[in-house]
Amino acid sequence: MFGRQDMLFAVEERKAKKVSTTLRRLWGYFNHYTWVLLLVAVFVISGTYMQVVIPDLTGQVVDCYLGPFAARSMIGEMTPPAGFDVAAASGSAAAAFSNCWYTEPNLMATSDELLQGMGRLLLIIVAIYIISSIVTGIQFYLMSWVGSHVLRDLQAQVFEHVHRLSLGYFSKNEAGDIMSRFTNDTDTLQQVFGFGLVNVVQGALLIVWIVYTMMSKSIPYSLVSLITLPLMFIATRWFSGQARKAFRRARKEIGAVNADLQESIAAVREVQAFSREEENIEQFRVSNAANRDANIKAQAYTTALAPTLEALGYVSLAIVAGVGGLIILSGEPLMGTTISIGLIVTFIGYTQQFNRPVQQISVLWTNIQSAIAGAERIFNLLDERPDIVDKPEAIAMPSIQGHVCLEDVHAEYNTGEPVLRGINIEAKPGETIAIVGPTGAGKTTIINLLPRFWDVSRGRVLIDGYDVRDIQARALRRQMGIVLQDTFLFSDTVMNNIRYGKPDASDEEVIAAAKLARADEFITKLADGYDTVLGERGSGLSQGQRQLLAIARVILTDPRILILDEATSSVDTRTERQIQTALDKLLDGRTSFVIAHRLSTIRNADQVLFLKAGEVVEQGTHEELLALQGHYYDLYMSQFRYQGEGEGSNGAVRPRQPNPTIQPILS
Amino acid sequence: MQMSSSRPNNRSLSRAIRYLGRYPRVALAAIGALLIAAAAQLSVPQLIQRIIDNIISSATQASILNLPAEFREMAATQLGLDLSGIQAEVDRAPGIIITAGLIVIALAAARGIFAFAENYLAQTLSQNIAFELRNDLFAKIQRLSFSYHDKNQTGQLMIRATDDVERLRLFIGQGLIMALEAFILLTGTMIFLFITNWRLTLVVIPILPLAIGLFFVFGSIAQPLFVEVQKRLSQVNTTLQENLAGIKVVRAFAREPEERGRFRVNIDELLEQRVRIARVFSFLFPFIFMIANLGQAAILYFGGRQIIGGTLTLGEWQKFSLYVVYLFLPLAQLGFIISLMAQASASAERIFEILDARNDVENKPGAVELQTVQGEIEFRDVSFRYFAGADPVLADVSFTAQPGQTVALLGSTGSGKTTIINLIPRFYDVSQGQVLLDGQDVRDVTLESLRRNIGIVLQETTLFSGTIRDNIAFGRPEATDEEVVAAAQAAAAHEFITSFPQGYNTPVGERGSTLSGGQKQRIAIARALLLNPQILILDDSTSSVDLRTEYHIQKALDKLMRGRTSIVIAQRISTVLNADQILVLDKGRIVAQGVHADLLENSAVYAEIYYSQLEEDVTVGDEEQLVLAEELAEV
Repeated sequence: MFGRQDMLFAVEERKAKKVSTTLRRLWGYFNHYTWVLLLVAVFVISGTYMQVVIPDLTGQVVDCYLGPFAARSMIGEMTPPAGFDVAAASGSAAAAFSNCWYTEPNLMATSDELLQGMGRLLLIIVAIYIISSIVTGIQFYLMSWVGSHVLRDLQAQVFEHVHRLSLGYFSKNEAGDIMSRFTNDTDTLQQVFGFGLVNVVQGALLIVWIVYTMMSKSIPYSLVSLITLPLMFIATRWFSGQARKAFRRARKEIGAVNADLQESIAAVREVQAFSREEENIEQFRVSNAANRDANIKAQAYTTALAPTLEALGYVSLAIVAGVGGLIILSGEPLMGTTISIGLIVTFIGYTQQFNRPVQQISVLWTNIQSAIAGAERIFNLLDERPDIVDKPEAIAMPSIQGHVCLEDVHAEYNTGEPVLRGINIEAKPGETIAIVGPTGAGKTTIINLLPRFWDVSRGRVLIDGYDVRDIQARALRRQMGIVLQDTFLFSDTVMNNIRYGKPDASDEEVIAAAKLARADEFITKLADGYDTVLGERGSGLSQGQRQLLAIARVILTDPRILILDEATSSVDTRTERQIQTALDKLLDGRTSFVIAHRLSTIRNADQVLFLKAGEVVEQGTHEELLALQGHYYDLYMSQFRYQGEGEGSNGAVRPRQPNPTIQPILS
Repeated sequence: MQMSSSRPNNRSLSRAIRYLGRYPRVALAAIGALLIAAAAQLSVPQLIQRIIDNIISSATQASILNLPAEFREMAATQLGLDLSGIQAEVDRAPGIIITAGLIVIALAAARGIFAFAENYLAQTLSQNIAFELRNDLFAKIQRLSFSYHDKNQTGQLMIRATDDVERLRLFIGQGLIMALEAFILLTGTMIFLFITNWRLTLVVIPILPLAIGLFFVFGSIAQPLFVEVQKRLSQVNTTLQENLAGIKVVRAFAREPEERGRFRVNIDELLEQRVRIARVFSFLFPFIFMIANLGQAAILYFGGRQIIGGTLTLGEWQKFSLYVVYLFLPLAQLGFIISLMAQASASAERIFEILDARNDVENKPGAVELQTVQGEIEFRDVSFRYFAGADPVLADVSFTAQPGQTVALLGSTGSGKTTIINLIPRFYDVSQGQVLLDGQDVRDVTLESLRRNIGIVLQETTLFSGTIRDNIAFGRPEATDEEVVAAAQAAAAHEFITSFPQGYNTPVGERGSTLSGGQKQRIAIARALLLNPQILILDDSTSSVDLRTEYHIQKALDKLMRGRTSIVIAQRISTVLNADQILVLDKGRIVAQGVHADLLENSAVYAEIYYSQLEEDVTVGDEEQLVLAEELAEV
């Protein structure tokens, strides 16, 4: 079960800060399974008992049956002269071998009687072997069962919690970090819950029990026999410590190799275009060689451990047999205990059992620590309080008309650092509000307030007169459509991606929405049309195509309020035009808030807000704002200035002036 | 990349194992260490037997000495010894036991040292083979033509160079040596057992095939279970990943309950599979241990019988029981070895699939170095299809670009523009016809010399980790700093580069996100300029840049094209207007050819494309532009 030792060492190690609290909480998850755990405990104890009792019984086979016989066969076969008490003579000889407690040694028993007696004892041993196997099997199964269930419960809880957390949490914490808590930490937990913990407990119990049993038979002989046990622990700790350190270095090197691979394969076309193959190959050789060397070093420690323990095992074998033999030969009991051949056999059996648990305890111990630290990190995540929760009396939002009011709205992500200050906006049903302004002015915050991704710190956001905090967030969001700059697609079919906001939509509805969004054209050209499964995050589609899908997705939900972050990223002119047409259709008749990057959007907007440092500094239509000659005017004119520098200006206000003879389309 | 359909055969595996031949000395040393380690291991029970038998006989003899004086002599003669002999032997016994004990300790040391040496050498060997395989894979992947990369994704190729190589390495480093060790230990043990007592050995033998059979069964049951658990695990991770990355979308569409449900299904399926594996394990492992233990019990009983029958000594009996452990130890590893081998075999197959892949574009034997290039490019009846039997992407395309001319390619997506530019540097080879450079077929010259004369600027700029300087000098690593700066200046990149604190030494990897699309594009232009190519291939669209940058880029591009033969996928009016030749493509054919004025009059297709594609929407630009405007307003 432990073939992949290096894997165990390769686990990243961490230390928990609040071990006892974390353990108590972890225990809470096991609480439902108390009965199963009790059963496991019973099995662990009985299984360990059987492991302890078997070497003892084996020794009894020797001491009760074989030892006396061996002695008798040497002496008893002699023709005893008259008057010689064979029983007494062989008895005294046999005393040197006997430590028999299983039965009254019968020196005069015939071979058949001995065989029968030994057969009965061996039947007991066989029975114990069989029961012990069954017990081990059931115990392993129960523990894995509990471990997997606890892990599942924990994972489900984390996932649900992630969805309760407000978006503010995600702006502060990398998705990758949460992901790693989830995958790495639960992986370690799985290992520990599954078999690690139980193995360590059972191993420790076994060692203690064996040491106790040995001591109860003969303290001095045990002490001598156990000399290698601490050495085993020390060796294991040292080697595994070194191995972990070395693996930490090796992980870095493999990271470099992967980065090299990733880059050179992803950009293979550039590499070939610039004939850089040979240089790259050479460069890869270097990082690859560094990785090899780091790994060889790390493996050196790992591979040294097992032979060391094995060697120590042989050393204790020599000590047990040698010292035991010398004591027997001395003919004196050792401090009141008779050392018998059977006892030597028993002790050999015991010392040979140390290897595995010692290794398991040392190796898994660190992993258990990492798992506790992992659990702690998971609990930290679970302790993160969701900022946005529906009030208990929150009402389901009735059908939205689209009247949106922001009244003296303040917002902050971190206390004391206002992002919005006293915003007042009123959008009548069907109006389009364009928001412009420099990065960091608070544009995104405004649109985050409407679907209650974030709450105001002062003031209120009213939709059709309802404060958004008084209505159920779900009901509110169901009636809003949101198109973000970066389109997120799921690795699912195109059909299901469009259907995302309205799971019950028919295929026809989806296709109709795609047609309205001008996405139908490229979708039907995909290998499997609407059934094409999109790769990771929609890879394989261009940015523009992904935006069209996002638009189709929103069209399908037919929202009353639309929130749109116009994309700045590159699309070719034709797609750009298609997106524009699709958006126009989408905006039509809905209250819309748009973070605008296109002049056409701004022009068509009913209101333009110029945001600066969290405040609305200018508000009005495009023409009104131009007439103000303020920020918006500057922004607008700066475009014009660069245009002039570029192609020679003819003084028109329009930033770009294509050849007038060929532009009937644009107006 | 489709999984190879055939069952993993062991030919690939043995081919991988043959890599061992590259390190013959390490391999031999590993085997030597293994033999010594095994010999030491096999000797230990012999000595233990010696100790125990010695104890028994000495104790018996000692008891003879304790007999009443009148019987001593008689007992001794019956044993064929005289009393002084017995006395001497009893006196010698402790010495023998101590010596045997010390030898065991020495053997333990030898075992420890050589087992370590064996494992360490095996690891070294396997790491070296992984190193070689990875190098070979990397080199092959770097050289494989575009057509191969079109069909294979980066991630898939990555997996082969990492996971598959690692699996193969594990087998070679652990599995192979374990198998060899197991074999030697099994054979050695069997020989010793037979020599000691063949009848008792026969008791153990039937257990062996039983255990081996069980392990095979285990292997075939467990393997698919593990594959399935991996699959379900990655499904769980995908769902989570998507929910984190797309959390806004999930919220916006209020899909949390459905996502929760989806996740719940995922983790329940994973749980189910894990419990299923636990069930198999909890049956199989104890069962196998039980069989091994029953073997021990059988030895105990039948050995005991023989002791009573007088044909076995107690020492031999103990030796047997130690050897039986050796017998089952390798068996316990067998299951592991088998599963390693199955995985390694499949991995080896996937690795060699790449190494054996035919490269569509290679230097032909006797290809010549391309000498000074004038820059005349001719397409002569060129047709191209991605694979035999597919629809042609280009059909009968013929045109000639004179040295220094600019040829603009126009056409809708999929009309064949990209294919034309891909054929010139031989990213693909023509299916029919010829591409000629200065009258020479591009297939007759070496790839390196051909590509060094062609500069390429594409729409999607890929930069590499390393400094900005490294990136500009990408095609000519030996360029001087002056040359790099000159190229950057010509590409209008010098200004923004020097505005970074570290200037040209700014690492691109870290800057990756902060380098804007326009900045990246200008670095790409500088990169092409530095090559000073006679031929230029470019896609003149400027992506995601504000007007000011766009203007700079355009100027840089104009500079770049001057005096070079340029083939341009045209997105811009000015390019088309200035082109010496315009090729209008539709469905892989040239449907019109000429200069702007002529075409506008004579070609309806051109006029349509012209109006629909080249007219750009008026844009306000992006955030950057707004910030810029504010800065300017404050001045």
